[in-house]
Amino acid sequence: MHISDGILNAPVLIGGFAGAGVLAVATMRNMDMEEIPKISVITAVFFVASSIKIPLGPTSVHLILNGLAAVVLGWRAFPAITLGLVLQAIILGHGGVTVIGVNALMMGGGGLIAYLVWQQRHRFHFKKKLFVFGALTGAVGVASSGIILALALATAGEAFHAVAEMVLLAHIPIILIEAGVVGACAEFLQKVKPELLAGQQAPRLQTSTDAG
Amino acid sequence: MAFDIDRYDHVASPLQSWDPRVKVASLGLLILVIALLKTIPMAVVAIAIAIGIMALSALPLHFVSHGLSFVLMFLIPFFFIMPFTYPGEGAFEILGVSFAWQGLRIATLIFIKALSIVMLSFVIFGSSRFDISMLALQRLKFPSIVVQMLLFAYRYTFVFLDEMKRMHISMRARGFIARSDRKTLKIYGHFIGTLLVRSFERTERVYKAMLSKGYQGKLHSMVQFHSVPLDYAKAAVILLITIGLLIGEFGGTLNTAVQAWY
Repeated sequence: MHISDGILNAPVLIGGFAGAGVLAVATMRNMDMEEIPKISVITAVFFVASSIKIPLGPTSVHLILNGLAAVVLGWRAFPAITLGLVLQAIILGHGGVTVIGVNALMMGGGGLIAYLVWQQRHRFHFKKKLFVFGALTGAVGVASSGIILALALATAGEAFHAVAEMVLLAHIPIILIEAGVVGACAEFLQKVKPELLAGQQAPRLQTSTDAG
Repeated sequence: MAFDIDRYDHVASPLQSWDPRVKVASLGLLILVIALLKTIPMAVVAIAIAIGIMALSALPLHFVSHGLSFVLMFLIPFFFIMPFTYPGEGAFEILGVSFAWQGLRIATLIFIKALSIVMLSFVIFGSSRFDISMLALQRLKFPSIVVQMLLFAYRYTFVFLDEMKRMHISMRARGFIARSDRKTLKIYGHFIGTLLVRSFERTERVYKAMLSKGYQGKLHSMVQFHSVPLDYAKAAVILLITIGLLIGEFGGTLNTAVQAWY
């Protein structure tokens, strides 16, 4: 879920762009030419995949997939997710243009937190490891972005506290659905094309984590 | 959902003939000011201006209304939640829950502002070809890497939309019906995984094709921007309107007149 224009104050908007800018620069460091088409193409896949509707009882939900972006792109998930947000705002009118910074912190930041979870899989060895860690990553991605969204809404004033709570509750079904989808996807990728998964080597101390 | 935002870029209008760089900068500033308005009278003025600019752009009504659908869906719940959860004493009660006018005011304010901004955003990007809009952003000092990636991503969006449609048809031909159950989630997980695998193979081919055409990390384009005095005249009009909104917001004459009755 994104936040729309017109809700947040100027300091929050500016803080959003500043924070997103810092994270974007940090996660795009040492990016070489070959990664440009790769990240762009995967951004397109996520943009398109976010239009899939999954039925939930009487209604349907769209997936956020920031956890899956982390599974496939590692740290580079942040620029990919941010670009996806820009495209959604411009092309579909989803989210808003003034809040791209805040939305990037929300979804992209959630994706980075999810990546930290994803990398923990190297410590374990059991049969359904990929599914479980994929599911956890997907869930943490959605949960983190939900929490940051609620915090952003809370800065808009007391009037928004109840909305923030409802937003958090509304994320719960999405967390469960995305856990299932991302878990299945991670397992599938491990079987079909493991090179697609990010951070396949267990990270050592000084090495910069490869982006897949 | 229609993804080709620039499908009406051939429609002639003062917006379409406006130098895209000046257009993006001027209307972008207007959008920013509208986002920060805090009074309903000024927000109403803002949406009137947005509607006026939309009318000038000659873009078909269904084009913009389609784009507004998300904002509407996202904000309608606010109207139901905010008046009933506003902290403090409400004005009266409906079905045992206290109703506060201030909550309704805030929801209305956000609604009007968000609608205006989406309208303007669609006017900006609907009145020029997408790659031209992106190059305009680059001339306005957006990082070249970001612009390149946006352009590639836009282009491949349509490729993957097609693939997604075909895969969906073949899934349904095999009897798949989307339901709220674990099997559906697993199938969609594999579906997205397949898209990713195909995209991976594609990026390798794309990169090699680009290299063979001389790609060195920079975007070269034959698009040339020329600005004429009329472009700056339009920018001046928008700037005056923006300043007018700010004065109205902080000056408050319109606000006090309206507040007298609501």
